[in-house]
Amino acid sequence: MTAYIVRRLLHLIPTFLGATFLAFLVIQLAPGDFLTRLELDPSYNTEQIDNLRRIYGLDQPFMVQYAKWLSGLMKGYLGVSLSYQTDVWTVLKPRILNSMVLVGLAVIFVYVVAVPIGIYSALRQYSWGDRILTSLAFFGLAVPNFFFALLMLYFALWLKDVFGHEIFPIGGMRSLYIDGVDFFSAPKWRQWLDVLWHAILPVIVVGTADTAGLTRVMRTQMLETKMQDYVRTARAKGLSERVVVYKHILRNAIIPIVATIGFLLPGLIGGAGLVEVVMGWPGLTPMLLEALFSIDVYIIMGITAISVILLMVGNLVSDLLLAWVDPRIRYS
Amino acid sequence: MPEHDTNLLEGLGERSQSYWQKAWQRFRRHPFARWAGGVLLLLYLLALFADFVGPYPEAKSFRHLQFAPPTTVHFKTEDGRWTRPYVCKVERTRDLRTFKLEFKEDCSTHYPIYFFVHGYPYKFLGFIPTDLHLFGGPWLVNEEAYLFLWGTDDFGRDLFSRIWFGGRISLTIGILAVTVAIFLGVFFGGVSGYFAGQRMHLVRGIFRSPFKRRGFSEGRGGADDGFFAGGALARGWREAVRDRRLPLYVAGLVLQYGLWLGGIYLIGLTMYGFLAISEGMERFVAALIFGAVLLYMAWQLFFGAVTIDVDDLIMRTTEILAAIPSLFLLIILSGMMAQYDLPSSMRFLLVLTILAFVGWGGLARNIRGFVLQLREMEYAHAAKALGASDARTLFRHIIPGTLGYLIVVASLAIPGYILAESALSFLGLGIQDPSSSWGLLLSKAQQGGIAAMRDRPWLLFFPGFFIFVSILAYNYLGDALRDALDPRAEQR
Repeated sequence: MTAYIVRRLLHLIPTFLGATFLAFLVIQLAPGDFLTRLELDPSYNTEQIDNLRRIYGLDQPFMVQYAKWLSGLMKGYLGVSLSYQTDVWTVLKPRILNSMVLVGLAVIFVYVVAVPIGIYSALRQYSWGDRILTSLAFFGLAVPNFFFALLMLYFALWLKDVFGHEIFPIGGMRSLYIDGVDFFSAPKWRQWLDVLWHAILPVIVVGTADTAGLTRVMRTQMLETKMQDYVRTARAKGLSERVVVYKHILRNAIIPIVATIGFLLPGLIGGAGLVEVVMGWPGLTPMLLEALFSIDVYIIMGITAISVILLMVGNLVSDLLLAWVDPRIRYS
Repeated sequence: MPEHDTNLLEGLGERSQSYWQKAWQRFRRHPFARWAGGVLLLLYLLALFADFVGPYPEAKSFRHLQFAPPTTVHFKTEDGRWTRPYVCKVERTRDLRTFKLEFKEDCSTHYPIYFFVHGYPYKFLGFIPTDLHLFGGPWLVNEEAYLFLWGTDDFGRDLFSRIWFGGRISLTIGILAVTVAIFLGVFFGGVSGYFAGQRMHLVRGIFRSPFKRRGFSEGRGGADDGFFAGGALARGWREAVRDRRLPLYVAGLVLQYGLWLGGIYLIGLTMYGFLAISEGMERFVAALIFGAVLLYMAWQLFFGAVTIDVDDLIMRTTEILAAIPSLFLLIILSGMMAQYDLPSSMRFLLVLTILAFVGWGGLARNIRGFVLQLREMEYAHAAKALGASDARTLFRHIIPGTLGYLIVVASLAIPGYILAESALSFLGLGIQDPSSSWGLLLSKAQQGGIAAMRDRPWLLFFPGFFIFVSILAYNYLGDALRDALDPRAEQR
């Protein structure tokens, strides 16, 4: 097992290099660089711009730029953000945390809702409850999350019109003031409560598609396991229905779902994607979009590198988890 | 004993059915799938006849009527009699107390709606000039009154017409991108699976390695002896002469050495540039690493030989593509390309290419799995034994076996591509004005702040509804097709 893990970890290195190099290559596709739009600014002359270009290393061939970035990465330094004029990590850290709050809550929401629904649907297959929930899942899978986010905002606006005050906040992550006090000087628990209140609608939007997907997987898994011989044996030897369902069916049905937990890792920062953009949540994706338009190379590279690492580690964790929960699977 | 007899008789009276007949039977078990198919057909027809269905051309804008609400169609006159549907003239006025824009109906004149009327001229299918429209009236072309069934957007363009024009892009880009992705996936996945386990030379060493013992060969009077003759290059040459494929060998050689030398040159250049701008410890370590890589490459060029599995190469590539979260890869790619000023047809192709580029990897992996199974089938071996070439065996005998799977994959993948296109256009990275696509139309809903959405909900509901419906329909269709065509589903 250890040998397997080591081999997988070594395997990650070329993949990581390839993926980051690809991203770097793609950034070179853009017309010009960060400083190109300064050339139109009359307050900069050509000499200053050339100077800046030299300072940021943008005059080097891109292979050299990439090598330099990589060498910085070895030392844990992600480079400097051209538009924020500071360390990339300082810029990204709060954004990553914001995204994680949103997606973390959404993940809890997904599992808490989807697993029980899947179990219910499978145990009462073709009942009215199952029919309704299954078609709802279909709808949940089909609705684009940016459209759903807009609908939710419209809903919040409508609630505000009806009740005269905000039942749900209309976008954003925190209020400016809590009870007349500036947000950051309010007590910590009030700050958290405020963020949670802001997170309700985005969490529902982010969670819906995954809930729908997981419900379907859970249902098929349960249905398949229900037909197994060992379940019939369990019933035949007179075990109570409770024990049969929870110890024999559920435990086996949930194996592939345990494995998906690893895939959540990359989702932690990128999973909320467009919802963050639409609902004004200051997460990573709005940051990425902003960086794209100003060609802020190292912000883009930083986000790519972090998400690539999370994705690869997540896949590895998934495989290991699968082997851990299912003794039938062996990696040599 | 009698049991066996009945078993033999079973099925005698039935007609045998082909694969496709059985598939059709399984497909019909899904009640929604045929509805979904019907809805999609309707949407495609409406998009095809967009010029005919919509009363206005795609880019026709009325600047003084931006964000006009849907025009009310009256069926009754003021005194309550039923009449031919008509509309009233709508004027935009500004409320002098609140400074809000208001749209006021002026029903002094009725403008009746006629069907199959002459309107704005257009070219049907791009080459048949006509001016027939589904509905409208002479007043519509003269701009005496306006007919905006679903309101207008920020340029005062008719949303109803633009939805159908947008459908052309939104509905076709998914199919086209899936087609391109499937071609790429079939090609690379097929090649990868077919040649899995066969090694290919990436570069052939010129000389015999000094660490290899002399005469380490399969005889032939010491043909392998000597500094030069023992290298991989010479050995390859002898094999090529034996197999009579010298031109191919030489061409491959030029390519191999060209790539390898190019690689050495690039790395050398990088090393030079890197060392020039770094100092201290970093400089030292970099020099070591770069030096080691260069030495290794040079050594392989002279004395070694690098072989690689084509399968390995392709699978590593798909792994690299899969390592970047696809949403990020999509928006980075299109974010970079969106900064060019491209005509709308180019932009369409660009979005299509990007979607296919991001999507082919997963397909290739799945098809590789299939090909790995199918290449061991008797008919594949038979084809080889009868002297069919690799290409013929792969593309005429093995790939057709994956057809059912390909149809399923395509129909399940299309909604994802439709979604991706609308997401990109929604962010302003895909299709851009004056062309229209559903994602782009939806993005107008949040223009001017979220609160503005309250005043113009039609910009939110209509485009979003169509994205939703088309994805839903494709999902239903794909589900039914999977049950009908997937060979693995048959066993259940």
